[in-house]
Amino acid sequence: MGIIIAVISGKGGVGKTTTTANIGLGIALNDKKCVVVDFDIGQRNLDMILGLENRVVYDMVQVMDGEVTIKQALIKSKMSPNLHFLAASQTKDKSVLESGKILKLVTDLSLDYDYVILDAPAGIETGYEHTIEFADRAIVVVNPEVSSIRDADRAIGILDSKSQKVKDGGEVLKYLIINRINPKMVQSGEMLSSEDILDILSIPLIGKIPEDKGIIDASNQGKPIILDHNSDAGRAYARIAARLCGQEVPFENVEMPENGFMKKIKEMFQ
Amino acid sequence: MFSFFNKKASAKTAKDRLTIAIMSDRDNNGAFPFMDQMKAEIIEVVKKYMGVKAIEIKKEVVGNVEALSIDVQLEGKD
Repeated sequence: MGIIIAVISGKGGVGKTTTTANIGLGIALNDKKCVVVDFDIGQRNLDMILGLENRVVYDMVQVMDGEVTIKQALIKSKMSPNLHFLAASQTKDKSVLESGKILKLVTDLSLDYDYVILDAPAGIETGYEHTIEFADRAIVVVNPEVSSIRDADRAIGILDSKSQKVKDGGEVLKYLIINRINPKMVQSGEMLSSEDILDILSIPLIGKIPEDKGIIDASNQGKPIILDHNSDAGRAYARIAARLCGQEVPFENVEMPENGFMKKIKEMFQ
Repeated sequence: MFSFFNKKASAKTAKDRLTIAIMSDRDNNGAFPFMDQMKAEIIEVVKKYMGVKAIEIKKEVVGNVEALSIDVQLEGKD
């Protein structure tokens, strides 16, 4: 049985879908079978970030309703044979989601894949509740900014009261990703540091992503930034994917990056 | 110079404000998971006698006393 991971944030626009695409691809590049499912019904976007929008024929609602098989609806990534994608329905609305059908879908997927990653819709309404309902773990994406952190705390609260695992007396493991860190602003005290955010949310950190202009370019092209080894954000996503695959990867100090001079000196000694 | 200093310290302000806001959020949502249900029931009771437009329930702490303030907005008079 694979692991079911929901990617959540509460607030929209913090980089949830970008994160889902990058860690999904990152896990696949670590030789694990991974499927990413877009649960944002009516606002399908993961297909564009993965560069697969032209290949979508069937969506997850049609699979859940038994109109097509999972195999028919799954789309293979161009970047890794280990990564598959299941699109959200663009025409239906969130009311089509039903617990029983979702359980069957994610259970079926977890039989074939090591990692089943669900991209939750923004907000904390029913669409969100259904996404987290059968999750084993959750990745919480925040920006170092008050509204994002407050909304994430609400989303975590709902996860801790409404997921099936919690109702059964268990716990959904949560990991925090702090996205869009501006190192200069943190250093000058204008932006919350990751220590501040960890103090407030008190869930374990799995990665810090620096703000990176390359993210826009990556989504323009439909090529997740993890493929760009020269990008700071791409490398940060690669480290997160490795950690999710069980590797011990030391945390890089995103907020205090070594400047070019120090880097050069270090490289000379390597 | 002083305003310059204030601007630079805003991360600290953010942390303080967030800590308080989140504590109060957790209080209201964690301690009263029945809040929505209670709201609905209060509306039902009041509705038997008069029209209800909206209801707001807040937990307030004054010194050692915790109190629920229930604010029922009635229909009519527009």
